[in-house]
Formats: sequence, structure tokens, C-alpha cells
Amino acid sequence: MKNHSTSRIVAPVILAGALVLSAPVWAAVESESWNPVVSERLIKLPANYLKKAIDHDFAKSALALAIADNRELTGLKTQTLQDLQSAIEGAQGELKVELRHQFLAEKRAYLELVARTQDLRRRQADTKIRLYGKMLDKLGRKAAAMTPQHAALIDKQQAAQKRFQSSIGAVDMKLFGNAAMTESKYSQEYAKNVASIERLVAAIGSHPMNRRAEIDGKVVSKQDYLRQIITESEADVALLDQEETVLGYMAKLIALDAMALSDAVVADEAGDGPPAQEASINAAIDFFVTR
Amino acid sequence: MKTLKPILLTAICCAFGAAVANAGTLENLERERAIVLDAYLDQSLQPSERQSKTQISRTRLIDLERMVLRDKSLAGKNTPRVRKAFDNYDLTFLVHASTESKRGVLDHWLDQIGVSTHSLMNARLGRR
Repeated sequence: MKNHSTSRIVAPVILAGALVLSAPVWAAVESESWNPVVSERLIKLPANYLKKAIDHDFAKSALALAIADNRELTGLKTQTLQDLQSAIEGAQGELKVELRHQFLAEKRAYLELVARTQDLRRRQADTKIRLYGKMLDKLGRKAAAMTPQHAALIDKQQAAQKRFQSSIGAVDMKLFGNAAMTESKYSQEYAKNVASIERLVAAIGSHPMNRRAEIDGKVVSKQDYLRQIITESEADVALLDQEETVLGYMAKLIALDAMALSDAVVADEAGDGPPAQEASINAAIDFFVTR
Repeated sequence: MKTLKPILLTAICCAFGAAVANAGTLENLERERAIVLDAYLDQSLQPSERQSKTQISRTRLIDLERMVLRDKSLAGKNTPRVRKAFDNYDLTFLVHASTESKRGVLDHWLDQIGVSTHSLMNARLGRR
């Protein structure tokens, strides 16, 4: 009986200590990872597809599976805690102490799970920030990599295109308007293909999956869209920091509960025997006054 | 085996040669333009010969000019040849530019290189 009660006193104290020590262990677990690579192909994708492609890649990763598993376990643990809480309300005496102890242990396990999920979510958010940041850098580098000579060439090519497009009708009319000169096979076939291409382009333009990236209903550039995703991920990290504080307070409450339980058990143990009292000298007077 | 080796080498060289000779749209345009200008400037040709020759080349040149302007592989291709080609639209896309300016191909070309009736009339024979 004595051994049993000692273990009941020591267990909550060990529990509280374990809470403090267990955090670094999670950080060491790195098996669940997500390592996306910023490829040229990925950068060339339209902004909407780009996000979808990355989300799809994440969904297939070990990190996503681990987060899903942890969320499921957390849900189950919440259910266990609810069951235990209602069981404690109806329990008495030894059973109640035992259930309270179990409740504490389950709360500790719940915190471990939540902290692990937070760790995984933080890894996801950090990877996203890093990934989209790299993309933004690459897009910026591409624009900056253009030399003045290169930029001038592109300007001239665009000007030539414009001039050609504005004059092609008049040129055709003048060149092929008279019977002396007929359109070449290339021109005829090209005109046919252009008509087909225009129809296809119109179909692509009106396709629901071809919507451009939007923020609050406004069409934005790829850079803006990437910056928006980075900001959202940064917000996730900030919220995780806040959630970590909540978790810390929860852990502290468990430690306090454990100490309270320990005190209660000590008080119960003391209550089992008669209270130790000083023997009064008056009680012995009768031994002396009678002969 | 001894005879096989030189044959193989020749075949490889021919294959590489063919690859190198495979010119792009811009190179083809330049070649065709040179042929048209050569036909215009060739003093040995009779007017009828010149006309038939330039007529065929002109149609080809129109197609080639359009091919170059629509060639996506040339967009931003920062090579001396491409830079030079787009430096002067009027000289590179000779038929389109001349039609735009409502002049003959040769007149337009001469004008672009700085030879005009006025400059020729003012020219004096001399020795440098």
C-alpha cells in the first residue's frame, strides 16, 4: 500500500518534468520531409497552375502524410480527453485519483501531438516561403539579366512586328491585288492556320481553367501573386508562434495540475492514520494525586 | 574493316556538314535578298530576263520576310546577325518596306543606302 501511494505521488512530478524535456526530441525527428525543387518548368507555369502544382507536390510528400496522421491522432486524443473528463466527474476516491492521473497523462500526450503538428506545419510554411522566395528571385534575375543591348533588340523586334502587322493588309492588297502576282502556298496555308489558331486561342481564353491569378477579384502579375503566397505563409508562421505560446501555457497548467494532484495524494495519505498530537501533561495528573 | 573506317568517317562528316548547312529563316532571307539585288544590278541581263527573275524571287522574298518576322526562335536572340537584321527594317524587309513606301524594290534599296537621283545628278567624276 505504501509503495503504491509513493508511486502515485512521484508519477505526476515525473510527468511534469517530462513535459519540459520532451520538446527537443521532436525537433530531432526529420524523417517527414518535403523537398520541392525550383525548376525552369515550374517557373514558366501560369501563377494559378504553379500554386496547384506545388500544393499537389506537397500533398504527395511524407510531410503532408505526417501532418494528416497527426491531425487524426489529435482528434482521437481530444475524444479521449472528453471521455476521461466526464468519467472523473462521476468517480469517487481512489478511482478518481487514478482517473485524474490518467487525465494528466493524456493531456500531456495531447500536447505532444499538437506540438508535433505545429512543428510539421512550421516546416511546411518555412519550405513554402523558401520555395516561393527562390522563384521570385529567379524571376527577378531573369528580368535583371537582360543587357541594354538585349533590351534594345527586343524593342526593335517588337517595333518591326508592329510595323509589319499594321502594313500587312495594305501590302497584300498592293502585291496580290492584281492578277500578275498570286499568293504563295505558304501565305495561303498560313492564313488557314491563323484562322484555326484564333479559334483555339478564343476557346482557351474562355476556358474556366484558364483564369489568371487573382487577389481579391483583381488580376495580378505572377510576381505579385508569389509575394501574396509568401505573405500568407509568413502569417502562418506568425500564428504558429502564437499557438506555441498557447501550448506553453497549457504545459504549465498541466505541471500545476500535476503538483496539485501530488499534494492531494500526500494529504490523503496523511489522512489515513490518527493525527499526531502532543500528549497533554494534564492527562497524567490522576496518576499522581491518587495513592 | 579497313575500308569501313573511312566510309564511317565520311558519313559522320557529311552528317555534321548537313547540320551546319541547315540555315535559319534569317539566313535564307539574306541569301534570297542578295539574289534579288544581284538580279537588279546585273548589267548582263536583258530587261525581260531581269523581270522574270526578280518576279520569282520577290514572291519568295515576301514569304521569307514574313517567316522571319513570325519566327519565335529569333525573339530576343542576341546575336550580331539578328541585331543587324532588326537594326534597319527597311533594308532587311525590303519588299514589305518598299511596298509601304510605294516605291520599287531597287529604288527603295538605293534610297536606304544613300543613293538617290539627286545625289547621282550632283555627283562628279573624279579621282581619290
